[in-house]
Amino acid sequence: MNNRLPRMHVVRWAAPLITLFAAIIAGTLFGVQLVVLTLAAAALLLVIWLLWSSVQALAGETELTFEEAFSLGTRSAEEEQKRAVLRALKDLEYERSVGKISEDDYHEYSARYRAEAKRLIQTLDENLAEGRKQVEHELQRRLSKKAVKTKPTDAPEARSNGGSAPDAEREANAPITRDCPFCQAKNELDARFCKACGKSLAEAEESSS
Amino acid sequence: MWQSLPELGTGIVYAILVAAAYTFAVALAAGRGRPRLLQAARLGAYTTSALVLFAVLLLSYAFVSHDFRIRYVAHYSDRRMSTAYLLTSLWGGQDGSLLWWSLLLSGYISACVAWLKGRYRELQPYVIATLMVILGFFAMLMLFAANPFETSIAGARPDGEGLNPLLQNYWMIIHPPCLYMGFVGCSVPFAFCVSALVTRRLDNEWVIAVRKWMLFAFLFLSIGNVLGMMWAYEELGWGGYWAWDPVENAACLPWFTAAAYVHSTMIQERRPMLRVWNVFLICLTFFLTIFGTFLTRAGIITSVHSFAQSSIGSYFVYFMGVILGTSLGLMVWRLPELKSKGQIEAAASREAMFVANNWALLGGMTFILVSTMYPKISELWGESATVGPPHFNRWMGPIGLIIFALMGLAPLFGWRKTSGASIKKAFRAPLIALAATVVLHLALGGYLGYPFFVARDAFYPGVVGVILQKVGSCLPGITIALCGFNVAVIVQEFVRGVGARRAAAGKRGEQESTLVALFRLVEKNRRRYGGYIVHLGIVSMFIGFTGTAWNIDRETAMVPGQSYRIGEYDLKYEGSRRCPGNPKCSPAEQADIEKMMIFADIEVTRSGKKLGHVHPAKFIYQAQPDGPTTEVAMMRSLHEDLYTVVGQIDPQTKRATFQFHVNPLVSWIWLGLLILITGTVTSLFPELSLGEVGAWSYVRGAAGVATGTAFAVWIAMAPGMAYTHERPAPAARGPAVTSIRSLRQLPTAGLGAAGFVGLALGSVVSFGRRRRVDAKSPCD
Repeated sequence: MNNRLPRMHVVRWAAPLITLFAAIIAGTLFGVQLVVLTLAAAALLLVIWLLWSSVQALAGETELTFEEAFSLGTRSAEEEQKRAVLRALKDLEYERSVGKISEDDYHEYSARYRAEAKRLIQTLDENLAEGRKQVEHELQRRLSKKAVKTKPTDAPEARSNGGSAPDAEREANAPITRDCPFCQAKNELDARFCKACGKSLAEAEESSS
Repeated sequence: MWQSLPELGTGIVYAILVAAAYTFAVALAAGRGRPRLLQAARLGAYTTSALVLFAVLLLSYAFVSHDFRIRYVAHYSDRRMSTAYLLTSLWGGQDGSLLWWSLLLSGYISACVAWLKGRYRELQPYVIATLMVILGFFAMLMLFAANPFETSIAGARPDGEGLNPLLQNYWMIIHPPCLYMGFVGCSVPFAFCVSALVTRRLDNEWVIAVRKWMLFAFLFLSIGNVLGMMWAYEELGWGGYWAWDPVENAACLPWFTAAAYVHSTMIQERRPMLRVWNVFLICLTFFLTIFGTFLTRAGIITSVHSFAQSSIGSYFVYFMGVILGTSLGLMVWRLPELKSKGQIEAAASREAMFVANNWALLGGMTFILVSTMYPKISELWGESATVGPPHFNRWMGPIGLIIFALMGLAPLFGWRKTSGASIKKAFRAPLIALAATVVLHLALGGYLGYPFFVARDAFYPGVVGVILQKVGSCLPGITIALCGFNVAVIVQEFVRGVGARRAAAGKRGEQESTLVALFRLVEKNRRRYGGYIVHLGIVSMFIGFTGTAWNIDRETAMVPGQSYRIGEYDLKYEGSRRCPGNPKCSPAEQADIEKMMIFADIEVTRSGKKLGHVHPAKFIYQAQPDGPTTEVAMMRSLHEDLYTVVGQIDPQTKRATFQFHVNPLVSWIWLGLLILITGTVTSLFPELSLGEVGAWSYVRGAAGVATGTAFAVWIAMAPGMAYTHERPAPAARGPAVTSIRSLRQLPTAGLGAAGFVGLALGSVVSFGRRRRVDAKSPCD
């Protein structure tokens, strides 16, 4: 398949160019009728080639391309929903910046959308988890088979994005939420306002320190 | 092949039908649990499209080689026509225009299938299947009712009949393809909608997939409709641009529903609401495109487009029945899943405004639809009524204003609910602008020739008549006031956006100049601000429409040397000349063998200042000597158009009858279209770059090329239009009539430049996009 790809790529660009060239030559030598005829001939060749490929695919004689195989596994519904929620969040920010929405409403909707986005991202992750495990397993297997000479620490390094193992461990143990000093609701570390009571967390932090 | 070209052509049409059927079957199989067949279906779709292309090229060949054995070729071309017009004949008549329609549909199918590669896997098979059914219908239509390759029974003729002279002008070359692009473009959203209904994937997925396609179709519907107006304005010679002709009405119906959808989809993208409504709008829009074609083709109601009539109406009726049955059936079947999961929380919210706007757009559409069909409907109870332009004008004025007012109101509200304080803040500036416009108009309008109130006759007896008369008489004033309001709303949106950006930049400790902030604002929210730019275009169009209230229309007869005064213009009739033959004619006019031209030369003076000459004319085409065409001559400006038409000219005494019109503000409509195109293109492009890969760059490139070329051709034509303003005397060279020039006289350099500009725009856009895909995250 790897050998076929670049060839197809060349044909895809070369065929129209050759046709165009032939049509221009025919036009200058024999007039506009020949131009149309040349183009028609090219169209007919295209029809034949496409039909042949289609019948081949129907008979199951073609390999599955990588894109197709990949798209077999994708579930786009959640992805689209996630995009919609992110877009709604962006809108919300915009409307707040031009003063079209009151602060109270902003916090209420922002919290709602964030929760929804989180849920969707989790669902997406869960859907992918199975596949990821397989891929990682396969990767391990191939790496151990192929790169015997490389250091054994290579694989985990690649997985944790270049950081060393103790770093990753520390990250995993670090708190991922903090409690609101007013209502004790759990909030993200970077949250500036509490999602339950709406009070400013930044101010609370300053006053406590 | 030369011997059997007609047979080959017919065979290819058969092949299109067979290929469409094959693809349909394979696509269905792919949808029903055999995903590996999808690739075969996709290739099948490409095959069918390529076959249509081959058929069109065959017909083109028949045209350029003057193969008069084929009835269609003999009927719509002759040996004298230039190559460009020969190719125009492809869509000049019924049979060919069906093939042309199929070609555009094939183009859409190929683009859609290419774009779908690797995405919307579950929807894909049914999208392809639906599109194949639509293409199959047109193939069947060609085979059984209107085969473009059919031979004449009498055999080949020495020469053809020639293209209808009404169609031999510049606008006619680009108007039908643009309108068809819009009409055909509505098939893709419909296919997605059907597919979503069949597969039960009724979430946002299909709505987001469809948005771009719908916007693209909307763009071309707008362009096609306004180009139709230009054609009517410049070619039909009755002084106006919109006569509420059934075919014009049919063409604008899908525009209304498409505009409604473009708004209501924004709600569904954010919240699980209006699902049934959006499905309904998509199906209705597609239905109306087919209905519009049916109305044009079947000729059940008399119209200026009668040149395109035939007996294929019954096929359309069946097809419309199938569409209605399928979409209604699917909707009822999926009704439980389509139910809304949210509701409008407050009346003072953008959702509520959008819904109101949707209802108003749909109401306007229904009014036009029912009024257009009324002559046919009234036959049911034995009455045969006719519905004329006055009826439409009286009612559409107020309806249009409601839509126009809602258009201004909606941006003032935020999503979900808007607090009293922010409403007060949002309304302040626009209301001040409204009041200022009213005061200025009342004070200066009369002096400038655009009075606030105009006298209207009562159209109906009774209370309704009186109300309509009163509303009608202050309509111009209200429209201009609302224009002020709308412009203020749009400007305020931009100002607030820029302000917010600069404030945010200030907080980060950066400096952003106003221009940079404006550019970045639009760049980051192209969809929103593109929409506002479209609104600005609509405002400009409304200014143009209002101009009709102050029209001056006169008819007169003059002998050479006589003068006539209309508005501020003095028109002096200097005499008539017949070309070719008269020494005053230009070389191009002398060399014209297609037609005989009789010009009336009129000198135009305005308030004592000489402006130049206009030359209204009658053209008598050799191919159709019985039907002389009326050629309009105009002097245009943003302020008003002077529009002159010559009726009859006595060959002995040179006494001629004339129609003169002063049409204020018409140019604002054309200007509005340019703004609308800019806005739509602005909001179309960024959405395409939302992390899409592969084929979109080609689609974007194609869109860029199409719009770029349209723009550039336009600009290339501009000198032709301005010609009359500069011409000092009729004896100078070149035809002075503004719009009417055969394509041979078109500036070839201009067309070449048009191609280059389009190409450049397309490549810049598609390459620019590639870079962005790498650089940007999908949710940015």
